[in-house]
Amino acid sequence: MNDPDPRTLVRAREGDLGAFEDLVRLYQGDVWRFAYHFTRDRALADDVTQEAFLRAFRFLRTYRGDSKFSSWLFRITRNCAMDQIRARNVYVERVTPIAGSVADPQARVELHAALDAVSPEHREPFLLVEVFGLSYQEAADVLGVRVGTIKSRMHRARRAMMDALALEEEAR
Amino acid sequence: MNHEQAERLLSARIDGERLSSRSTAELEHHLDSCAECRAFERGAYRLREAARFEVAPAVPDLVDEVMAAVGTQTRPTGLRVVRPMRLPRRRVLPRLAPLAAALLVGVLIGSLVVGGPWQRSETGSALAAAEVADGISAAAVNLDAYRATFDVTERNLSPEVPERDLTMRVWFRAPERFRLDVADHTDYPSRTTPTDLRLVVDGSRWYAAGPSACPSAVCPQRESVVRNRLPFSTDAPIPADLVLPISTLSDPDRVTVLGRGTVLGRPAVEVEVPFERAKPLFPFLSIGGDWRPFFPNDRVRIWLDERNWFPLRWAVYPATGAERDAWALRFGLPEEPSLRPVFTVSARNVSTRPPAAGVFRIPASASTRDQGGRTVGLSDLAGDVGFDPVAPAEVGGLERYRVVVPTDETARSLIAYADGLAFVTLGETRTWSGDAPFGPVGVQAEEVPLAGGGVAYYEPSTDEHGRRVSIHAAGTDLYLESNLQRSALLAAAAALPVQGLPMPDAWRIHEVGGATVERVSLETARDAVPFPVGLPRALPDGFGLASVELVDAGYGNAVTLYFRDVDADAGIGTIRLHLEAAQTLPPATSADQSSVDVDGANGRFTPDRSELEWIRSGVYHSLDAPGLELPELVAIAASIGTNG
Repeated sequence: MNDPDPRTLVRAREGDLGAFEDLVRLYQGDVWRFAYHFTRDRALADDVTQEAFLRAFRFLRTYRGDSKFSSWLFRITRNCAMDQIRARNVYVERVTPIAGSVADPQARVELHAALDAVSPEHREPFLLVEVFGLSYQEAADVLGVRVGTIKSRMHRARRAMMDALALEEEAR
Repeated sequence: MNHEQAERLLSARIDGERLSSRSTAELEHHLDSCAECRAFERGAYRLREAARFEVAPAVPDLVDEVMAAVGTQTRPTGLRVVRPMRLPRRRVLPRLAPLAAALLVGVLIGSLVVGGPWQRSETGSALAAAEVADGISAAAVNLDAYRATFDVTERNLSPEVPERDLTMRVWFRAPERFRLDVADHTDYPSRTTPTDLRLVVDGSRWYAAGPSACPSAVCPQRESVVRNRLPFSTDAPIPADLVLPISTLSDPDRVTVLGRGTVLGRPAVEVEVPFERAKPLFPFLSIGGDWRPFFPNDRVRIWLDERNWFPLRWAVYPATGAERDAWALRFGLPEEPSLRPVFTVSARNVSTRPPAAGVFRIPASASTRDQGGRTVGLSDLAGDVGFDPVAPAEVGGLERYRVVVPTDETARSLIAYADGLAFVTLGETRTWSGDAPFGPVGVQAEEVPLAGGGVAYYEPSTDEHGRRVSIHAAGTDLYLESNLQRSALLAAAAALPVQGLPMPDAWRIHEVGGATVERVSLETARDAVPFPVGLPRALPDGFGLASVELVDAGYGNAVTLYFRDVDADAGIGTIRLHLEAAQTLPPATSADQSSVDVDGANGRFTPDRSELEWIRSGVYHSLDAPGLELPELVAIAASIGTNG
């Protein structure tokens, strides 16, 4: 995932709402999708996205560039999603399909089955790396864990998902 | 190599992580002979395909909602988005030995200071800083006209453009006409849109033109016009501080007086403030074009004419420290020595000769935004808003200048008073139904007694607003906004023919997430909780207790204290201290937290929220300020006394 033009970032940091709007436009898709993975609810994902950008706006000054901007924003999004989930006391364990997705239905069913098979702890790094294209370092920044942890969780996630898919095939 | 190890390496390689050449060789060797691992690799790519196809749901466009919410955040009702100056840093310069300081300043001001050996200010710097603030406030009232030309030099816009050369011209005619032109003379190595800008303010109309910010070197021109502009609206930049730095230097706590000298043959005094505080001296940055970035703690040194306080020369010097270095790296800036200015503005000539009226003419433009401030005659005002507003001929010693009826859901009047650069706007409504004071004033505003009786609610100036006072009186609500000093604004509020009442319960008491939050006096709060409520002794300069809330979440009372700067909010923001009885810290709510020692107690720091939490004597403490950093929070935490 690309980082924004540094000049946009500096303008946003200085309170330029136009520049911040550019950042919102650039990242809203990824932030929303990431939020959706936690909430599994479109309206909740909307709320989390809005809250994440609000927090980002409030704390933009504290962003020091020691991680990529997108990692920083994802970390905030994750915190917002966690807050929402805690507030509502729900954590959706099962993955439900997103209406309107355009992929091959067969692949979709398989992926959902596979994602169901892994724990949230392994699902998160998988989504960050595979779906959002983050590097291990960036995923580690988002999740607040070490790079080595991401590495082993990616492996375990893949193994678990493949095992689940193989089981499905056998059960047919 | 076993399956487990091979799969781990494969998994990392698929994700583009670099493997050592030895690992790669061993992995390839293993794969040659292991069908299971080759199947793992194929399976992983299959998962990737499924995942990347799958997660492309229709994403809603939330830009408008987010920006609307952000817009309400920039109002001063919540915590402010600010970064601090470092508390100890301000004291460093005055402590330099006079000789070292003289050498330093000699190097800095270079050839611009002609004659007049640099000398230490004869008074203490704190007193002198107050003198500067008072001097500027007094000068602002008497200034009718102004015009000046400045040379601007900017370094390190990009590696290709290490230095830029611009000219800036400024015109002013009291009370509310400004013009700012920037002409870019830089010889760019490739085709580049020059940063040529124009900003004109003519009372109810505002105009700006310049290249829009864009990622390439050639950018489209943008023109915008605001009509029916509200008087002294701070929605769009105004170059008032280029005439007199009335916002930048209004808060003496943030100003360091460095010394005296001669600039342009005039006796001058040099002061220093962090860039973050000096932003009103750089209004051109937000009009358009391309500009280098500045770090909030970069130092801005301003030479002021000692006789009339006009800014004659100002320059930005890079801050020092690892944080600044990391920031600079991020923006691709080269190493910038702290003694070499990266941006200078120098007056070529300054005069108080009135500009011709044509200077402030606003060209016709296609894109016009209506701010809804309809100017009316005073005699028509009562008929327009449906009541007879408080409308004295003068407020705070300033004369009535414009009467406006804003297009609003709430019927209200807005009367502007002005003299020179100084202004007060007075808003009033008889039908206020909000849950906070009327005007841009929040429920945590400081309650101040007014001379002659009654109370008002005061907010310090911010990036978005001047100092404000809201008055809730029998049957009416009023507010004043101004660039006058705090004492003058409060005197103006006291002189209005209304008696300010304390906040009604509807504003004072709120339900927040199942808890009842009630604004109370410190004494009431102390009586309502079973633990001592101590105040921190080591607050940043100029900070005081603004408000106290009692929080009842159903399991015992808690207290929240809000501390703010009494003069100007820009720079540090609101410091919040929350106390409640507890034996352990609540569960962690952020992945990014670290343990810290808080004066012997075990504490937790959350950088995302700039929050420090710790338990002492059975009381949970949470201290946060969006701008403050850990060492400053710890210093404040350690200074909390038990008897206030």
